[in-house]
Formats: sequence, structure tokens, C-alpha cells
Amino acid sequence: MPRFEANGIKLYAVSYDDREALAAYAEARGIGFPLLSDPHSAVIRRYGILNTLIDESDVPFFGIPNPGTYLVDEAGVIIDKFFPRHIALRESADSVLDAALGELLRGEAPGVGAGDGEVRVEAFLHGGGGTLKAGPMRRLVVRFTLREGLHIYGEPIPDGMVATQVSVTGPSGFHALKPTLPPTEPLELPGLDPPLHVWSGTVDWVIPVYADSDLFPAGEEAQSEIQLDVTVRYQACDDNTCLVPRTEHLKLKIPLAGMEVPSLMGMGAVGQNRAVEMDSAKYFAQLNERQTRSRNA
Amino acid sequence: MSQDERRDAFGFVGPLPASHRLRQIPGPDLATGPEIGERLPDFDLVDHTGRRVSLHADRGNSKAAVVFFRSAVW
Repeated sequence: MPRFEANGIKLYAVSYDDREALAAYAEARGIGFPLLSDPHSAVIRRYGILNTLIDESDVPFFGIPNPGTYLVDEAGVIIDKFFPRHIALRESADSVLDAALGELLRGEAPGVGAGDGEVRVEAFLHGGGGTLKAGPMRRLVVRFTLREGLHIYGEPIPDGMVATQVSVTGPSGFHALKPTLPPTEPLELPGLDPPLHVWSGTVDWVIPVYADSDLFPAGEEAQSEIQLDVTVRYQACDDNTCLVPRTEHLKLKIPLAGMEVPSLMGMGAVGQNRAVEMDSAKYFAQLNERQTRSRNA
Repeated sequence: MSQDERRDAFGFVGPLPASHRLRQIPGPDLATGPEIGERLPDFDLVDHTGRRVSLHADRGNSKAAVVFFRSAVW
């Protein structure tokens, strides 16, 4: 992945596949970083991430890991890890890159914005080139850019003042999870105890989102895009005055994209998905044979 | 089999019923291996080109992302 290389981050992937299958996959997907073969799941076991919900007798499925990613620093110490509970909900490469660089990169797709010179509010989809696929998590970012001196509020907040709220709705099949908020700073005002909790400058609310199968119905061409309704309510104040609380309704159009899927067991690529160009059936048979032999050994 | 039988708790539809043993979703006690703050355990594996790779030696002084995935085949 060129962006990882360009940022000095080495990339490695490990699975229980044979070297030959990994070579075919790397060629089909144009992958240049190492795909490491752990055919008896020895490393997977040593790490303690063997999937134990699958029974040992379930050949060839037994032996896979709980899938996830570790991010390590220059000394090889883990600085972050991503292990979603659902197999389809993997982190996108962009999220891993963001974590590695400690920053949120701008989305490649245009966002929508509202506001003025005091407070600008923008919403954009970050990751995957601004497209949504069935499964990989993306981040919907609501970015507030405040004029110097202004702040907006987090909870808890006294009666009569408006805390910042963001809600996102989309069509059936679209999921928005709990947002990650940056930490607030305390604002002490004479006569007010406890202090207020505020954000200033550029404030990013990061909402993990994903699409399930409803947006990609089997055997049909999916829609080319969906619309998300992002409602943002906030109140901006400086040390002397407060602006009138505002509600912005942003409509964000997100293109849907297909994925590369194995052509296997009659599951072939449908709709916008494309089949990975390798003989998955042959490698699956080899995997089956190898796992059966190890089990009987 | 209806679409509903094939849809799991997260909303994904698969070729097998959601209740099938191969479609079980781990609970919150999902084992995720070494923790943040620990050194990533070293390993020695052959990559897809046949090159032997010792993780920390190969990584040198660079940051790295190590991805454990299900399979390139299925």
C-alpha cells in the first residue's frame, strides 16, 4: 500500500493459507507487502487469537484467527489494535493509517458544509476514497472550525445552554455507531461551579459507520449512492457573549462501491462485486486436504 | 431459506443461516492477543514470495501494521 510506505510504516499480513495460495492472491490483487504463511496456525495460537468458536473437527475452517490488526511503534511496542467482533467489520486501511500517524486525514470525497466566518460545520466520509462498501468500517467526520476565541460545549451543561449534538441517519442497511469525541477543556467562569466543558479551534466528531447487506442485495445492482442526513446542533460563545444556538441539516451523498470477493462455492461476484482473479476452488481443495491430513496425523 | 434467516445480528446476510455454527459471532470476551503497551511477540514465517521474514528484524526501526486475516482463499 503506497500510503503506508510513503509514511514509513511497514505492512505485514498473516494467515493460515499456503504460500502458493498467498502468491496467487498477491498477484490477483497487486499486493506488494509480505503475506506471511502460518499454515499450522502456530503463530496464531502463540498470539492467543485462534478462533475457538469453530470446532477442531470443522475442516478446513478451524485454524483461522480472530481477525485484527496490531499497530507497533519504532521499538516494536503495540500502540493500537483493532479487533472488531464481526468478521465483516474490519478496519479500513485508512483508519489504521490514521492511528499510525496520530491524525485524521481529510476525506477524498467532497463533503458538505454550512456556517459562516464564526463557526463552519462540515461533514465528510473518511476512508475508502469516500465510498461505502458492505462491511469495512468508515469514519463519518463532522468537523467544526471555530473562529479564534469561540468555543462550543460538551456535557454536562447548565440549564438554558445548548450542548453540541450530532445525529446521522441513512437508509436501511446503513449503521452509525457511537461517536468518538475529542477531550474537552475545562472553562472556569467566576461564579460558575463546576467548570464548563468546551471545545475550541478545529473539533472533529468521528462517527464509525458501516453498510450491511441491505444496501447490497444479492443478485441485484446496488444503488450507485445513498444520502445521509446529518443534523448538527450547537451553541458557540466567546468570553463575553453567546451566539444564538444553531441547527444545521447537512445532506451528504455517499457513493457505494463493490468489493473483490472469492469466486467459490457458488458465491461468485454479484452486483458491483468483482471476483478475485485466482483459482480459489483449487486452493480451497488444497487447504482442505492439508488440514485433513494434519488432523489425521 | 428466507433472507431474514440469513441475516445476523449486525445486519449482514450470508450464504448460511445466521444460526449456523460457522456464523457464530464472538461475545465481548473475544480473545485479541497481546495488549497495547506490550512488545509484539516476534515470529519467523515465510512470505508469499518464499522469503523468510523475522518480524522485528525485517521491520528494523520502522513503525508497522501487522494484520491477521481469515483467508486469502475463502
